[in-house]
Amino acid sequence: MAARTTQRTAAAPSSQLVEMAWDPITRIIGNLGIYTKIDFANRRVAECHSTSSLFRGYSMFMKGKDPRDAGFITSRICGICGDNHTTCSVYAQNMAYGVKPPPLAEWIINLGEAAEYMFDHTIFQDNLVFVDYSAAMVAQTNPSVLARAENTQAPGAGIHGYRTIADIMRSFNPFEGDLYKEALQVSRVTREMFCLMEGRHVHPSTVYPGGVGTMPEPSLITDYLSRLMSILDFVKKSVAMNNDVFDFFYAALPGYEEVGRRRVLLGCWGAWQDPAVCDYRYQTMSEWGRSMYVTPGIVVDGELITTNLVDINLGIRILLGSSFYGDWVNEQPFVTHDPLGNPVDMRHPWNQTTLPEPQKRDFDGKYSWVMSPRWFDRRTGDHLALDTGGGPYARLYTTALAGLVDTPYVTSTGNSVRISLPKSERLPATTLEWKIPPWSNAIERNRARVYFVAYSAAMALYFVERALEGIRSGDTRVFTDFDVPDEAIGCGFHEAVRGVLSHHMVIQDGKIANYHPYPPTPWNGSPRDSYGTPGPYEDAVQDMPIFEENGPDDFKGVDIMRAVRSFDPCLPCGVHMYVGNGRTITHQHSPMLGAQHG
Amino acid sequence: MASIRVGRPDVPVDISAHTPGVPEGNATGNYEKQRGHHLDGTADARRSTGIRPTRRDPILDVMPNLPPG
Repeated sequence: MAARTTQRTAAAPSSQLVEMAWDPITRIIGNLGIYTKIDFANRRVAECHSTSSLFRGYSMFMKGKDPRDAGFITSRICGICGDNHTTCSVYAQNMAYGVKPPPLAEWIINLGEAAEYMFDHTIFQDNLVFVDYSAAMVAQTNPSVLARAENTQAPGAGIHGYRTIADIMRSFNPFEGDLYKEALQVSRVTREMFCLMEGRHVHPSTVYPGGVGTMPEPSLITDYLSRLMSILDFVKKSVAMNNDVFDFFYAALPGYEEVGRRRVLLGCWGAWQDPAVCDYRYQTMSEWGRSMYVTPGIVVDGELITTNLVDINLGIRILLGSSFYGDWVNEQPFVTHDPLGNPVDMRHPWNQTTLPEPQKRDFDGKYSWVMSPRWFDRRTGDHLALDTGGGPYARLYTTALAGLVDTPYVTSTGNSVRISLPKSERLPATTLEWKIPPWSNAIERNRARVYFVAYSAAMALYFVERALEGIRSGDTRVFTDFDVPDEAIGCGFHEAVRGVLSHHMVIQDGKIANYHPYPPTPWNGSPRDSYGTPGPYEDAVQDMPIFEENGPDDFKGVDIMRAVRSFDPCLPCGVHMYVGNGRTITHQHSPMLGAQHG
Repeated sequence: MASIRVGRPDVPVDISAHTPGVPEGNATGNYEKQRGHHLDGTADARRSTGIRPTRRDPILDVMPNLPPG
């Protein structure tokens, strides 16, 4: 709920600022509010604050638990990417227990996670993001764009079969569009693939530290493969449709690249372990991190500054500033030095203590339950507000620049990622190339998402081959025994669907003494930190131009929603927009929109 | 801990933690104890059944032994 008020600013007397708020934002998980001041005269967003009224407290109630339960408990953080938490927790536990799972267990987890990426990206992109780009929505916000789309031929019509851009946009219409409905089918198939490997979606039942409980049989892999082959046509079509629509938006709305644009400040913690290299020891983390099938890294202004997971780990700082928490600098540190002897900062997750201080929301003071994770850049002394680009954008960016991934299906070239998909039911063998775009903006974050579905499908083919190789050799081990130590520390780095995910654990007396999961949305949705640096949502929306044709009275804020949703926010609910004086606009920014446009 | 007021816990916070002396499935040495699992990582039909398992092993040594779940 938010009030809309108008005020004249001293700096620009001709401009009128209208306060507009979307709280909570729909089509996401959790509770996120975006509060803006919009300058309608100059068609710009003047100011933006992102806030969450949701407090979880996992780090508090994990204390004293059996560390082996961590994967099952933290899975419940999220109802859509819970398995990413299980996997990340298992990685952290493997390090703490000093256990290396057998290769087949790694291939099975990799196959499960690949299915998760395909499932989640498809349902988010095609059933949630594309509502904002659908004919039903665009007809309300930018009728002239839809009129132009009716007369614009789709360059990829030969692949996807839609003659004009408007035809594609109609296929996005919620509940009735062809793509919308097909995506629901595909997300079912990909979830079946996931369940084959990890037992249950979305809280896995067969993923443990030390390995998996999945029974490795040839039919396990072939059941997965047949489902994977059945969705390849959809993946190839989707890439062509995405490219056509996004290129059209650039052409139809000159300057649209500024929507959701921010500095290229990206973080990726890497995904899919290579069992030939990965032994989960902290001492060798930089080597096995670089062998991951999505390369971890940090990109600042287009330059890859590190791919070393040890550097990435040591640079993480959890700042306060605008969050409802007390500072923990005077608490006892848990980890003063990492296993390599490097000092660990008091603001590192290993040393964090959560001290909640509930209070009234004040945009000039504290206004969110999200903390402000930053990455300390030793070169400049800056605390960087990294974003994940919704996940795929950062993954493709770091992988492309690092040039380390080289498999028969996915190759990193140093400035692009090449993805080869075999012949499928209707379409021929296809090589797709994701090239590093000039901007970090809403459209490129969305475009990267569909390319990452193709990336995951291609990598899944590779994992299928490796797993079958293992099974055919007769080595069917999927679990390694271990004992839980009394004292240990561990950290896990993984990619949740929407970006970086880390779990940091400290074990004392055989129990969890400190546990801090850092999922992507605290990075993306963080408020202003103690240095005054705004979080990525705020940064991307602030000073953004508005292209919507509606005025303040029937304003939908579609450009702002596109900017925020491009990050794949993971914080759920329904939007209500309150405009002050007791009047609430009843527009619902939800998939129900389609129901009004039959 | 935080300064917010909270109620008294109903159960000890470490209630779910392991109780010493209770056997653990993950404990080292458990793999060797399981029948049908070999030290080199391979398995035989005894992994799946106790009823005449040798009759369910592959007929040739060159074949991989892949007992069902």
